[in-house]
Amino acid sequence: MKMLIGFEVHQQLTTERKMYCDCPTNYQDVKPNSNVCPICTGMPGSKPMPPNERAVNAAIEIALLFGCEVITDKPIYIQRKHYDYPDLPSGYQRTSLPIGLNGELQGVRIREVHMEEDPGQYDPTLGTVDYNRSGVPLVEIVTEPDMHSPEEARRFLRQLVRVLEYSGKVRPEAGGAMRTDTNISLEGGGRVEVKNINSVKGAYRAIKFEIVRQKSKLERGEPVTRETRAFLESQKITVSMRVKELEEDYRYIPDPDIFPLIIDNARVEAIRASMVEPPYLREQRLVEQYGIEPAAASVIVSERELADLFEVVAEEIDPKLAAIWFRTKLKKVLNYMKLRAADVRFTPKQIVGLLRMVDKGEITPEQGELVLRELVKRPSDPRRLLQKLGLKRLRPAELRAAVAKVIRANPGAVKDYLAGKEEALHFLAGKVIKLTHGRADPRKIVELLRAKIVGEK
Amino acid sequence: MGEVTKAKLEAIRNGELSAVENIRQALERISKLNPKINAFIEPNHNAISQAEAVDKKLNRGERVGKLAGLAIGIKSNINVKGLRATCASRTLEGYVATYNAEVIKRILREDGIIIGMTNMDEFACGSSGETSAFGVTDNPAAPGHIPGGSSSGSAAAVAAGMCDLSLGSDTAGSIRNPASHCGVVGVKPTYGLVPRQGLIDLAMSLDQIGPFAPDVYGVALLLEVIAGFNPNECVMLNVKGVSYADELEAELKGMRIGTSPKFRELTDPKIMEVIDSAIEKFHDFGAEIVEVELPHLEKGLPAYYLIMSVEFFSATRKFDGRKYGKRIEDVCGDEVMRRILRGQYISRKEYRGKYYQRALQVRTIIREELMAALEKVDVIVGPTVPKLPHKLGTSLTPMEMYAYDYLTAPTNLASICGGVIKAGEVDGIPVGLQVQGKMLGEGEMFRVLRAYEAVE
Amino acid sequence: MSEERLKEIERSAEEIVESFVEAAEGLPSKRETYYSHEVYNIVRPDGEPSPSGERSEFRGRFIEIMPGSDEDGNLKVEVARWVR
Repeated sequence: MKMLIGFEVHQQLTTERKMYCDCPTNYQDVKPNSNVCPICTGMPGSKPMPPNERAVNAAIEIALLFGCEVITDKPIYIQRKHYDYPDLPSGYQRTSLPIGLNGELQGVRIREVHMEEDPGQYDPTLGTVDYNRSGVPLVEIVTEPDMHSPEEARRFLRQLVRVLEYSGKVRPEAGGAMRTDTNISLEGGGRVEVKNINSVKGAYRAIKFEIVRQKSKLERGEPVTRETRAFLESQKITVSMRVKELEEDYRYIPDPDIFPLIIDNARVEAIRASMVEPPYLREQRLVEQYGIEPAAASVIVSERELADLFEVVAEEIDPKLAAIWFRTKLKKVLNYMKLRAADVRFTPKQIVGLLRMVDKGEITPEQGELVLRELVKRPSDPRRLLQKLGLKRLRPAELRAAVAKVIRANPGAVKDYLAGKEEALHFLAGKVIKLTHGRADPRKIVELLRAKIVGEK
Repeated sequence: MGEVTKAKLEAIRNGELSAVENIRQALERISKLNPKINAFIEPNHNAISQAEAVDKKLNRGERVGKLAGLAIGIKSNINVKGLRATCASRTLEGYVATYNAEVIKRILREDGIIIGMTNMDEFACGSSGETSAFGVTDNPAAPGHIPGGSSSGSAAAVAAGMCDLSLGSDTAGSIRNPASHCGVVGVKPTYGLVPRQGLIDLAMSLDQIGPFAPDVYGVALLLEVIAGFNPNECVMLNVKGVSYADELEAELKGMRIGTSPKFRELTDPKIMEVIDSAIEKFHDFGAEIVEVELPHLEKGLPAYYLIMSVEFFSATRKFDGRKYGKRIEDVCGDEVMRRILRGQYISRKEYRGKYYQRALQVRTIIREELMAALEKVDVIVGPTVPKLPHKLGTSLTPMEMYAYDYLTAPTNLASICGGVIKAGEVDGIPVGLQVQGKMLGEGEMFRVLRAYEAVE
Repeated sequence: MSEERLKEIERSAEEIVESFVEAAEGLPSKRETYYSHEVYNIVRPDGEPSPSGERSEFRGRFIEIMPGSDEDGNLKVEVARWVR
């Protein structure tokens, strides 16, 4: 069934002060309603302070990261978007006209990027509002409905979050710094907007639920009306918000209390020159500069710190080897330990040392992986870790002795192998690996077993 | 003439009159006169202790501020921490201000003493002083008549001597109109000269806070205290360190004073008589009287009402009753509701171009016309209101009420300054002369006001 | 406010709008004046947030005027109708 999915992603920017006042932005660390002032609580008579400059620059940078055309030499008004909701202290939200237009990511068109302020935190079940978050600067990214499956949408959203985190200008997705309004429509039905989604996982679940809900309605011959629904995280369902407050006419006016912004080309170029390299450009450059596989480059650029580490390491170690290790073993260990590359505490020197040992054949790749795991857990000189784990490579004589021992101890398996059962060899190899605590290369073990068994025949 | 404020200040500085005594006298006058005049909604019970602090400084020979010991009334749409900023409405009748407006901070820094919160038209939506939820205000200079609005209480308080100075706000004449009806001096400063942080909005692009006083010196002094750049708000003029009070000279020789035939078209002939003889005097001072064209002046009024309705609708969205007060639509008076509904209607997507944006275009026309005129002359003088203030209790249609603003609304549309001083009377009712200057032309405006005052 | 009175207010609200349409007829198109002066890019640098003393004083006053609050200082408002 044909479907159209689009996103309006709101992500908080990393500034110390709020957008229109000097209150701090660390809303999660403090008591309710303590990072507040007359401005961000909408006290009668309060006026906004001039907009936070760092937020404006961050929004420009993010627009560039998504390949948008930044609006230059034309006034960008901050508008009042009026609607009635408990978390909106003034009854309107200050939101800018687009800063960037017509970008693209992973084949999905980015319609626009603009700046907004966060409303307060409303708990709809308890009926409470905390304005600590009110006024925190947000960047909003609006996509065209160019996604056609929940999986595609999830993939896109993940990548979008990665690119945003790449910039270093947004707070990480975990912890509610991101909110995504999701639009889903099926062929023959109206467009449904789902709000209250705070994670990529949530978006995926909401989309899946909506598809089932809308599909069954259409199959029953019932119309799917255009509406706004809320995603209930705990129950993994969407419910109709049925609120007239969220009607479409926001009665936008330029905010008379805030002068418009005009961005000139010089400023855009200055930001472009100093900003982080966007992931898709970096991916291309890694392939060209280091001659690594595109698939490996793609994984490496998925996290900025991972790519940064890779480029440091690739100066000392064969980039292709480094790329394989980063793509497979390092990523595997990090995922297993639920860590991000930014959380890694070992030094580049330490991982270079480890990879050098692997490259020279001093240790097997499997041994290397064990050391790597240890390196992530308790960073230290890799040679010391090797000793601690008792993983120094076996001398050839020791290995031959172990092979001989296993052959003597498992006559049945030897017989099976000679009878043509290849698995028996693997069984024997396993025994040798266990006996030698993984200190030998499995390929060598198989080679020696084969040679000895056949030789002794 | 025009020495009242200066004399009071000197008396306090010399020790002839203590700040505490001044405040006590003011509070006494308020308790005696307010039951009839109803200029104050809430007196400040901390005023005496604030006065004591000023006296302490004086007694120790310490430096005191420019407003030391003076009793100052504040319009009820300006936040004074600890007092209720009710906007004369049931919506905010319990709202105790949680912070000081920037102008209040500046007054306190100069040792001025806030004597109380004055009455006004509800949410500044009026030109008569009759729409307050806390009762009408009487005109001390013409009892039984409206004092004008919306800064009715602030004007009446000064006229009745209940305080030395007061603050009002002006969006289409809300300072100048009551100044004229009550026979006191009132000024609407250039837009962007005085900070609005803490002023409860009527129309954001038009509102300005401004002073009332019995004399030009008082107004000039209070204005120079409250005026000047505030980095904590956006749409301010980058003006610092203004000085008006000590620069008041009455010399008019060589000044070009403009007047427009349009004023005569729009105004009651009895008022024009008073204005004409005022203008004669300027002639006698050696100023050159020049006629200026203001062909579209009267179109400013409807344009104003459309623009302000949209902005007021936006401004009142915060009064939802959740954080403080009550939901405005549940408890407000008719005129407030009228403006909210109008604003809600004409700001709809499909009407914006036809009404709101078109009105902003007419604003440009008015602005250009006034600015062109002010290229030819230093100031424009004329009547403040087109008709005399009606008797309290007279029933007027909304359009009849709006008509009071014909001559004052264009000043706000053009963002220029305008001041009013009593020019005479008609049947015992004060008539004010309005003097409009260009943006940041307060200097010329004060010169003309002062010159007129010096003669009287 | 009664339905009737509201209708009357709405009707009377329109008069000045009609008066405007009349007045604006025949006037030239112009650029709209949104602001009193043409200034752009008034921004504020990011930096040290406001002092906590100021904020805790305001917090006290804010909570005091709240129509309802819980023991943590949250504002109490309505529960959402769409929550099951």
